[in-house]
Amino acid sequence: MKKLLAIILSAALIFSLAACGTTSATYTIGILEYSSHEAQSLAIQGFMDVLTEKLGSEVSFDRQHASGDANSATLIANNFITKNVDLILCDNTQSLQIAASATATTPVLGAAVTDYARALDVSLVSQSTGINVSGTSDLAPLDSQAEMITELFPEAKKVGLLYCSSEVNSLYQINAVQQYLLAKGIKCEEFAFTDSNDLASAVQTACDFADVLYLPTDNTIAECTGIIDDICHVTKTPVIAGEKGICTGCGLATLSIDYYKLGRQTGMMAYEILVNKADITQMPIEYDASCTKMYNTSIADNLGISVPEDYIPVE
Amino acid sequence: MSIITSIFNALPGAVAQGLIWGIMAIGLYITYKVLNISDLTVDGSMCTGAAVCVMLTIAGMPLPLAMVCAVIAGMLTGFVTGIFHTFMGIPAILAGILTQLSLYSVNLKIMGKANQALSVRNYDLLVSLQYIRNVPIWKNAIFVVSLFVIILIAILYWFFGTEYGCSLRATGSNLNMSRAQGINTSFNTVVGLMLSNGIVALSGALLAQYQGFADVQMGRGAIVIGLAAIIIGNAVFGKIFKNFAFKLLAVGLGGVIYYIVYQIVICLGIDPDLLKLLSAMVVAIFLAIPYWKKTYFAKPKKGGTKNA
Repeated sequence: MKKLLAIILSAALIFSLAACGTTSATYTIGILEYSSHEAQSLAIQGFMDVLTEKLGSEVSFDRQHASGDANSATLIANNFITKNVDLILCDNTQSLQIAASATATTPVLGAAVTDYARALDVSLVSQSTGINVSGTSDLAPLDSQAEMITELFPEAKKVGLLYCSSEVNSLYQINAVQQYLLAKGIKCEEFAFTDSNDLASAVQTACDFADVLYLPTDNTIAECTGIIDDICHVTKTPVIAGEKGICTGCGLATLSIDYYKLGRQTGMMAYEILVNKADITQMPIEYDASCTKMYNTSIADNLGISVPEDYIPVE
Repeated sequence: MSIITSIFNALPGAVAQGLIWGIMAIGLYITYKVLNISDLTVDGSMCTGAAVCVMLTIAGMPLPLAMVCAVIAGMLTGFVTGIFHTFMGIPAILAGILTQLSLYSVNLKIMGKANQALSVRNYDLLVSLQYIRNVPIWKNAIFVVSLFVIILIAILYWFFGTEYGCSLRATGSNLNMSRAQGINTSFNTVVGLMLSNGIVALSGALLAQYQGFADVQMGRGAIVIGLAAIIIGNAVFGKIFKNFAFKLLAVGLGGVIYYIVYQIVICLGIDPDLLKLLSAMVVAIFLAIPYWKKTYFAKPKKGGTKNA
């Protein structure tokens, strides 16, 4: 029995490792996808599209998904390094940290990662990391988002800031927005939750407290917009969201960055590195320059709010 | 690339990671097998070890000292579970769950945020994903972690051989009988839990260095991986390894096998959404094998009919 097991295991080992072989394309790009998230998937799609347009069959992608597990992500990174990929693309803070730990030489690009300095424990010198990591940030201008709250709700006295305590970037955004609002004399309160289990009670408390809720770009919130909408619909609390996906689910309005476009922007950076041999250590982190004000029509109807002309409906 | 070279290339990463988790599994072995209680504290204490190690290193403490502090912090978490269980009379599983839950907040407070990077570029770390290839042997992550495993097993082997260690083992095998022999079983349970969680925290500290960050989510599901390592180790090496030290080694190797299988799954490109399901199935199968062997493949005992 034991021998049989050993034989099966070793056979599986050999066959599987044979499958780890390389492809014939000039450039192989490993995509380390940490968790399924609409915005992140769009960015990856944009990244792949622009490179396929530019390089055609010269580029091949190895897209692997870690199901939100750091251990799987570490093994995937190990797999990429073994296969000698030419570039690794990461879609969030953790996957970027793992890839940056895994290699000091292979270029690592982040697509829509919020805060590079914090993620990598480096200080940015003229927006570049100085190491083999660069990329695009999905940080929408936070002061403009906060301004949106005062623009749409000049009467608002109390703003509730909801975020998931396990996401490091959310707290960062909350703090920035809070600073702006406090300067305007608006009272702010933070409502942190741990996961989808205690989200509902946090939202309920926040709605009871606040005139307006602000939700940052937060993966857990993005996954649970249904819960938030159910509660806010009843209490008629308007929600200003950090990104489009959350706005579609439960937000009244958002200042949206285009993740697909950001992905394309990242793809162009990859092109520069691979084809034009640009030095990644000197490449500045890029942002999406063109933000659009968007609003959710059905939620605006429910709240009986009419938004200014320059807001476009979110689909 | 030939098959042989790719085998040699892909495996070291998985082996190093497996060994780190093997240390965690050895810690779990002390509660699960020796003390005979299921301790769920480990899901939290792993991150506590990582968080303490990372924060102290960043604050300027020498790494070895930071790791010692991480172990002490892990032992404290075990102490809390032990107090919940013995002094407050909460069932072991629930006591562990309570500690684990509270550790989420504690870990957040230790780090001040959900995720803290510890880059190998800025600090001289013991292990790192980068120390797998093209480094001298004494810096190689597999070598360093193996050293940890061997020293740990040696210490545990010595410890469980002492008079006190024996009374700890006795506590696990028969609580009432031990008490009847004048052993303070409550005290022993607390010590066992502290020892176990200290080791788990050590593995957390190593893991944080290896992957380059501590994250408040990092210990989630650790107990499943630890149990998998114990069970796989026992199923594969159970017949060969009878000595206590070798049993601990089998647990460590169980972690390695788990991660090799995992790496294979990733190499094969199996839909990663199914990964969790697959790992649960691997554990279930390894759990079932000894049972099936007993039920379906056991030879009937001699003299069965005669003695009936």
